[in-house]
Amino acid sequence: MASQHSRTPRLLVALLGTLSLVTAACGPAGPAGGAAADSQEQPVQGGRLISGSFSDIQRLNPATSNDATSTQVSGKIYDSLVTADHKTGEIKPWLGKWTVSSDGLTFSWTIEAKANWSDGKPIIAQDFLARVKMQARSKVTPNKSTFNDIEGYQDYSTGKATAISGIVIDSADPKKFTVKFTKVFCPALANVFGSAPMPDHVFGKYTVDADVNANVDQAAENNAPPAASGPFKFKEWRKGDQVILSRNETYWQGAPLIEEFVLKVVADSTVAAAQLRTGELTHGIVQPGDVATLSTAENVKLYKWPDNGYVYIGWRVNNPNVAFLGDKKVRQALMYGLNTDEVVKAVLFGEGTKQFAHHPPVAWAAGTNLNQYAYDKTKAETLLKEAGFAKGADGTFAKDGKPLAITIVTNQGNKTRETFLQVAVEQYKQIGVKITPKLEAFESLVPKLTGGSPEVEAVIIGWQLAADPDPFTIWHSSNVSSPAKAGNNFVGYSNPQVDKLIEQGRNGPDCSQGARQKAYQEMNKILNEDVPYNFGFAQNRILATDARIRGIEPGSFSPNGDWNIHKWWIKK
Amino acid sequence: MRTYILRRLLYAIPTLLGISVIVFVITRLSPGDPVRLYTFGALDITEADIEALREYYGLNKSLPLQYVDWLGQVVRGDFGMSLTYNRPALPLLLERMPATLQLAFAALLLQLAIGIPLGVTAALRRGSWVDNVIRVFGVIGHAIPTFWIGLLMIIFVSVTLRLLPSQGVLTVGKDMWDIGDRLRHIIMPAFVLALAGIANYSRYLRTETLDVISQDYVRTAHAKGLKNRSVVYVHALRNALIPMVTALGGLLAALVSGALVVEQVFTWPGVGQFTYAAARSKDYPVIMAGVMLASTLLVLSYLLRDIVYAMVDPRIKVR
Repeated sequence: MASQHSRTPRLLVALLGTLSLVTAACGPAGPAGGAAADSQEQPVQGGRLISGSFSDIQRLNPATSNDATSTQVSGKIYDSLVTADHKTGEIKPWLGKWTVSSDGLTFSWTIEAKANWSDGKPIIAQDFLARVKMQARSKVTPNKSTFNDIEGYQDYSTGKATAISGIVIDSADPKKFTVKFTKVFCPALANVFGSAPMPDHVFGKYTVDADVNANVDQAAENNAPPAASGPFKFKEWRKGDQVILSRNETYWQGAPLIEEFVLKVVADSTVAAAQLRTGELTHGIVQPGDVATLSTAENVKLYKWPDNGYVYIGWRVNNPNVAFLGDKKVRQALMYGLNTDEVVKAVLFGEGTKQFAHHPPVAWAAGTNLNQYAYDKTKAETLLKEAGFAKGADGTFAKDGKPLAITIVTNQGNKTRETFLQVAVEQYKQIGVKITPKLEAFESLVPKLTGGSPEVEAVIIGWQLAADPDPFTIWHSSNVSSPAKAGNNFVGYSNPQVDKLIEQGRNGPDCSQGARQKAYQEMNKILNEDVPYNFGFAQNRILATDARIRGIEPGSFSPNGDWNIHKWWIKK
Repeated sequence: MRTYILRRLLYAIPTLLGISVIVFVITRLSPGDPVRLYTFGALDITEADIEALREYYGLNKSLPLQYVDWLGQVVRGDFGMSLTYNRPALPLLLERMPATLQLAFAALLLQLAIGIPLGVTAALRRGSWVDNVIRVFGVIGHAIPTFWIGLLMIIFVSVTLRLLPSQGVLTVGKDMWDIGDRLRHIIMPAFVLALAGIANYSRYLRTETLDVISQDYVRTAHAKGLKNRSVVYVHALRNALIPMVTALGGLLAALVSGALVVEQVFTWPGVGQFTYAAARSKDYPVIMAGVMLASTLLVLSYLLRDIVYAMVDPRIKVR
């Protein structure tokens, strides 16, 4: 999955998909950042930004869509109540300001007084309610449970109630409302209030309180939104080719300087890089392999920043076919026995850093004082011996007559991961571990992972993390995937201590960043010790733009680096 | 003639039904679960939500029941809802049809305009170096994978020489009806799509022309003192072209389905590219609609071929 608009903090926790433009890698910025532009320069209005994407948008209504490309575009049309700081990921007021009750259950919101829809109507509390209601009654949305913890939501969703008791609009001020939760939910700010309000005067009519079967699913406005609260307005969707947005002159943060934003569909990363050079594209995330050529192009400027995500080898700790992976010593040996720095060089041309636990260093939840597992062949072999393995005549470790052999699968077509796998095969062979590489199409691999298929012994895949660091779906034992119940904990890791820390970070009662940070740091410490993944590497994202574009301030929590696109301008 | 056409159309029904059963079974049995793929990455999704979606799309029923449901809908012209786009599958595909037809017709034109003269020239200069070059080209044109030549052309023509745009149908910012810009976009994909056909046609026509020019009536035409040019293009070619109609039959359908790869490489927003994406996301309704559309086209074009054949060749009568 490529990328989301950063202003929408409700970023997905996602496996990076096959077509992902992602796979970035380096540290600090390359050539000078846009923010440091010459002070002599005066911003001018006009011009067009052409952003490359490997897939077309699918639906422009964020209440019913889930894919990264649609989110990237709809995020420019609809602003959320909150935003994630592009550098720290901290959730901050945006379209709205909030206070929270002492029990942590009730949020009181005030929507920015000067904020209007592009058609002139004020943005009001009713618009947020409209969003919640349309999602409750939609039959096709994958996001139905987003608001499950809001009081009365589930009853409204099933038609048992004709109103959502937990959302109360101030009768005196249409810009004020309160939302009451049934239990403390720390990620609420990002995950619930990151859902953008939708214009009630446009979509309200499709959801009928008394009719559970009336919904927004087939509304014509879904794919041609007539009113925008974000920096850009919808103009045209040339199916399969381009989506065109034009500037919202009445944007509440001040009208953008760029006249048009165009999302252009291109075949793959090679073509994207070529088009950035020819100027057919002026904005796009590129692969580390393209950096060398692009950095010589005078019309292209590169920005690099560490990504809030990582690529890893997940060891199935609950698969009887590879029961030895349940042994911590074996997994630690596999951590010591892989020279990740070499991997980063070979796979990412140096554009990445080794990762030792779940949260990447850029996240506030990242662990400290972690074991760095410096490459050490001898230590790896010692650990394997301690685990009861002995080296056979062919140089492969074995125990009870069974060799230490693991099949690692990854999704076909992702060059980064395929190369990672090749390197892992070679390196593990040197410490006496036999790896059988296997490639599988993304579409057939995903159900096997989330369905806990015993076919999977180990997998190379990636996580793109959300602005809120809640790791519940990935590490909590209730999310262990099995044929009966899908889950994202597909390595089958289960640790009561980790569960408890995750619950603390998720359900408080103290939801302060300090308290959550403490819980997550502790969790990362345990994962660092247990290493159910070889945590692989955090890549850098690399953005290539037309060199004339000014005002770009990239950060790890803005996957496309465009959180402040309303301030960008193009030098003539 | 009318009964013939009717009968052929009736015969087409079991053919199409057979295809639909096979494709239906293959798509459902191949690994991957559309609902899991569609909901993948959804932050707070529950197992109950997934079940509800399965039920909504009728995917919780048994395979035979699903097929019966599907058939029942199709008879009423409804191919079901695309999971990805949340819109009816058939209109989604038909929206993409103009782009594919443009590409297919442009390729067809190129095939005829280049393939025929090449074939005739090769035949007339039989054994010469010209003939040899054309014949080698024929083999190469047929053997080279389209995606490879496509990528090569993008790198050379678009990136190095910067002569033509490499992707899409229209430059960003241009008017929808800018014909010149559209032509510039269609040249490369159409040529790549036409390549195999050009090779085919030139070989085919070379053989046919060689056949025809040794016939008595051609000698007679020469004897009458007609110019060589007029003998070849007026008398000989006309007869050499008759068997070509057979080749034309499946051609349109072949172009439409062959466009899949070309559309992918050049990001041409046609039916092929769309169906390919649907296959990757297991969007069953779109896959089925795409395959049925292509199959129907194929069946119809064969019928058309037989009718045209009877029209141009008086020795053949349809009954």
